[in-house]
Amino acid sequence: MFDWPTFLFSLPLLGKALLITLQTSLLGNAFGFVIAILISSMQLAKMPLLRRLGGSYIFIFRGVPLLVQLLVIYYLAPMFGLPNLSPMVAAVMALSLCSGAYIAEILRGGLMAIPSGQSEAAHLLGMSRPAILLRIELPQAVQSTLPSLVNELVLLIKASALVSVVGLADLTRVAQNLASSDYLFFQHYLVLAGIYCLINIPLTMFGRRLERHLERSLA
Amino acid sequence: MSLSLSPTNAISAVPAENSKIAPIIHLSAVGKRFGKNQVLANIDLDVHHSEVVCLIGPSGSGKSTLLRCMAFLEEYDDGEIHIEGRLLGWEIDDRGHRKHAGRNRLNQARRNLGIVFQQFNLWPHMTALGNVTEALVRVRRLPRQEAEKKAMKALDKVGLSEKAKEYPARLSGGQQQRVAIARALAMEPKIMLFDEPTSALDPELVGEVLAVMKQLAQEGMTMVVVTHEMGFAAQVADSVVFLDQGSIVTRGTPNEVFRDTNHPRLRQFLQNYLDRNAFWHTTPEKTS
Amino acid sequence: MTFDLSIITANAGAIWNAFLVTIYTWLAGSVLGLMAGLLIAALMLFGGRPLQLLLRVFIELVRGTPFLVILFLVYYGGPSFGLRLGAMTAGVLCIAFYSSVYFAEIFRSGFAAVPRGQLEAGECLGLGRLQLLWRVQLPQMLVLILPAIFNMLTILCKETAVLSIITVPELTAVLTGIGTRTFTFIETLLVLCIAYLLLIEITSRAGRWLEHRVGIYLQR
Repeated sequence: MFDWPTFLFSLPLLGKALLITLQTSLLGNAFGFVIAILISSMQLAKMPLLRRLGGSYIFIFRGVPLLVQLLVIYYLAPMFGLPNLSPMVAAVMALSLCSGAYIAEILRGGLMAIPSGQSEAAHLLGMSRPAILLRIELPQAVQSTLPSLVNELVLLIKASALVSVVGLADLTRVAQNLASSDYLFFQHYLVLAGIYCLINIPLTMFGRRLERHLERSLA
Repeated sequence: MSLSLSPTNAISAVPAENSKIAPIIHLSAVGKRFGKNQVLANIDLDVHHSEVVCLIGPSGSGKSTLLRCMAFLEEYDDGEIHIEGRLLGWEIDDRGHRKHAGRNRLNQARRNLGIVFQQFNLWPHMTALGNVTEALVRVRRLPRQEAEKKAMKALDKVGLSEKAKEYPARLSGGQQQRVAIARALAMEPKIMLFDEPTSALDPELVGEVLAVMKQLAQEGMTMVVVTHEMGFAAQVADSVVFLDQGSIVTRGTPNEVFRDTNHPRLRQFLQNYLDRNAFWHTTPEKTS
Repeated sequence: MTFDLSIITANAGAIWNAFLVTIYTWLAGSVLGLMAGLLIAALMLFGGRPLQLLLRVFIELVRGTPFLVILFLVYYGGPSFGLRLGAMTAGVLCIAFYSSVYFAEIFRSGFAAVPRGQLEAGECLGLGRLQLLWRVQLPQMLVLILPAIFNMLTILCKETAVLSIITVPELTAVLTGIGTRTFTFIETLLVLCIAYLLLIEITSRAGRWLEHRVGIYLQR
């Protein structure tokens, strides 16, 4: 039933592909975090225009499927003067833009939970608005939303399976290639699912531990 | 006010004369542990028909746990609790071991009990009337109309018949607790158990709940009340039980407990109570 | 670079059909997933310890796997077990399978959110376990979990786009197909994005409306 030689032979290939998957998801998560800081502070800004812009960003990038966003970047980038976008760049771009919207929603919740007295106090001490955000508010927001942020990373690793569509040789793509070469579809996809679980389940558990820890420290 | 719903109001004998009759609640050597922690030890307590017993004591003394044991909301580990002569919650098998009584047996024993909780525990998605009617329809199997008539009578008794159609969220804490009392009363229990019924209320709402309880007591309801309201205990109780660290320290009439006692722990407890509640006399009056 | 919507109107019929396929796979999969999720949650509540553990492992495994991989396993891996499904059927079943574990978690947290005291009060009045589940827990739980359920529905709506990879003729497949055939990427992708935004917006509005209706008793 399970062809062990084939499995052992495929391991080095899958190992290399795993690195690609981790690289895309982690880069996507990192750039997404930077975008999220920008978007969430826009949403909490006083200027109505900024708020609306931030809101629209979230509305669009949370409302359109990631696969469609990937296709848009892949097909339309050449038309807007970005020729020869490598699959890696296109994939990281799509993942960052999309996760940016989700992380922004998480951070906004964390930022809104901080008592306004804190930023007022910092303001009276002469701190600038960006300094207050980065030094006072953001660290607290990140701490209080860390479990959700870890959960978001798990979702992003799973979503990164879609980048195989634009031809990036990630885990899913390599498993697909293996399967279509020897027709052992079920076996290769089972191994594929196992590898994703091996990364995601410990991460999920870590997130849950953080959550319990957080609840206890707040209680 | 309408007639009492309780069948026990026919008996209005003073407890002292009553004491030769079998007690309606009988606890002997009741003990309870949470893990290694002994929260109740060796509790003996009798409650007679129409008697009002108040359980007082510092927080953590086990008074709420004792009351919850009387409804078998907590399983007691040692001793026996009898309600109307029936062992509560446990069954003794042929070899003398005890095991959980079946659902039906437990429900039969609980039929005599009405319970009022500190947190009201109303069902928020049902109106006041719905809360009171629910068990009448689904447990007593009354037709809806009859159940609602009975429920309205119970609500009227706690002075809330005009709030029957309101959801709990739109009622004050005091009103919610009175609905909870009506919900228990509608099932026509012989005994009412109150678990700190006013502790979750704003101070200005305490009075309306106590007034309903006082009226119940006057009508001859058998009541066990865990409370921090010493004024209520002094006025209404037939006997007051002081618990500390899981056992009964002393028991007596309100006069005996509140005035004549020289038990050091009880005096300390009462002194703390006076200190907390005296706002006019800078030095509280001596209690004896 | 030109912008010409005539390519959309010329293919209106095909696009409308694709839209219906999206709606069908999404809703059929979600309804099946909701039912399976409620079943799993109930089994975890009333089942014994071994069953609970087994379901826990099942939930974690499905949650750890990307939707695309589940789709591949069932659609391409299924035939090794004689499980030959049409693309559409496989799509609906995969959405149901994938969502069932998320819905189960939502239901489970809903059961847990109804305060213990409310059940104690019912117990003391003689109400049975099933009566309490039906009359006290479920109706309250519904309000508590509606936001999470509708959030999941929007996620599933977007997941249907992935079905294009196994050639289900839904919106993404059909519109990108038209785009590649006629080199009208801007028009087709724009319409594609708008279609999803519309679906998501309608869903979340419906969710908020329903939440308000069902939660009327919470208002002071």
